[in-house]
Amino acid sequence: MEPVIERISVKTNVLNANQQTALANRELFHKEGLLVMNLMSAPGAGKTTLLEATICALQGKLRVAVIEGDLQTDLDAQRIEALGVRAFQITTGTVCHLDARMISRALESFPISDLDLLVIENVGNLICPSSFDLGESLRVVVCSVAEGPEKPKKYPVMFNKADLVLINKVDLAEPSGADLQELMNNVAEVSPNATILALSARTGEGMPPWINWLQYAVDSHASSSRMLNVSL
Amino acid sequence: MHEIAIAESIVQIAEEKARSQNARSVRVVKLRLGTFTTIVAEALQFAFEIAQQGTSCSEAQLEIEIVPMIVRCVVCEESSEPVRGICLICGQCGFPLQIVSGEELQIDYIEVD
Repeated sequence: MEPVIERISVKTNVLNANQQTALANRELFHKEGLLVMNLMSAPGAGKTTLLEATICALQGKLRVAVIEGDLQTDLDAQRIEALGVRAFQITTGTVCHLDARMISRALESFPISDLDLLVIENVGNLICPSSFDLGESLRVVVCSVAEGPEKPKKYPVMFNKADLVLINKVDLAEPSGADLQELMNNVAEVSPNATILALSARTGEGMPPWINWLQYAVDSHASSSRMLNVSL
Repeated sequence: MHEIAIAESIVQIAEEKARSQNARSVRVVKLRLGTFTTIVAEALQFAFEIAQQGTSCSEAQLEIEIVPMIVRCVVCEESSEPVRGICLICGQCGFPLQIVSGEELQIDYIEVD
């Protein structure tokens, strides 16, 4: 006799488990009143150099810590710690992205209650990290000019989900023959609601608007968290 | 290769649902996959074959329905399907376009016995 096949409706998002953990992370971050930024880019776009320059510019203004995601090594965490900032290295082994559970586990041994800003530097990759909510309030995508102006068009999902796109290494636009304006236009086409800033973390060109943007984001987040916590 | 992580989640959700209905095994998992995601259907099929081993989904077929990306202008209300390259600015009036569909990554149903 043929077995009876029964159809059962599911209607569940495949990433539901990650989203639930991300939600719990987000609630914790709100309760602590700190802004969490998910920093993403292709390998070599200059995320860690940008972080170093950002930490230096924010010294004495904001209390910052960093969670680093890489497949191997704690080299990036060492670079951050050398600046006197607390850093936690997650090595994913072969996993191409961070997920909400990795962050939740890191927080078990990484204190955040004395912070204004927590930066999570994701694994260098323009594909996978875009699917995994970590509980962040801000998504920042870094793209360096030398990567070519067509990058946003090739990886539209990553750029589309960004609150801010930072075009890095503008000092290399001329020597590499890259068209900065075309790159910015392509970012705007796939991510029309994102803020776009161009800078060079190495030379410092364009850094002040980015630092102001960040300071404003932290301040407004802190006041909205305070209001939320009072109403809770 | 995040399709492995996605495939593991699919198996986990299907197994839990089947268990809650006291089903013996899962025969079909029906997935709705948008084209504006970072998931490749062929790679997901391959990853599913690995993830399903030794589970109540081990005999299951993964059926993937591809959901096309549809965008809509909030101002002129024109809908379209981006075909060559994604541009999310309305060609008619220059306003940002809303994504109506194409971001789906949802298990629609399972078939069990």
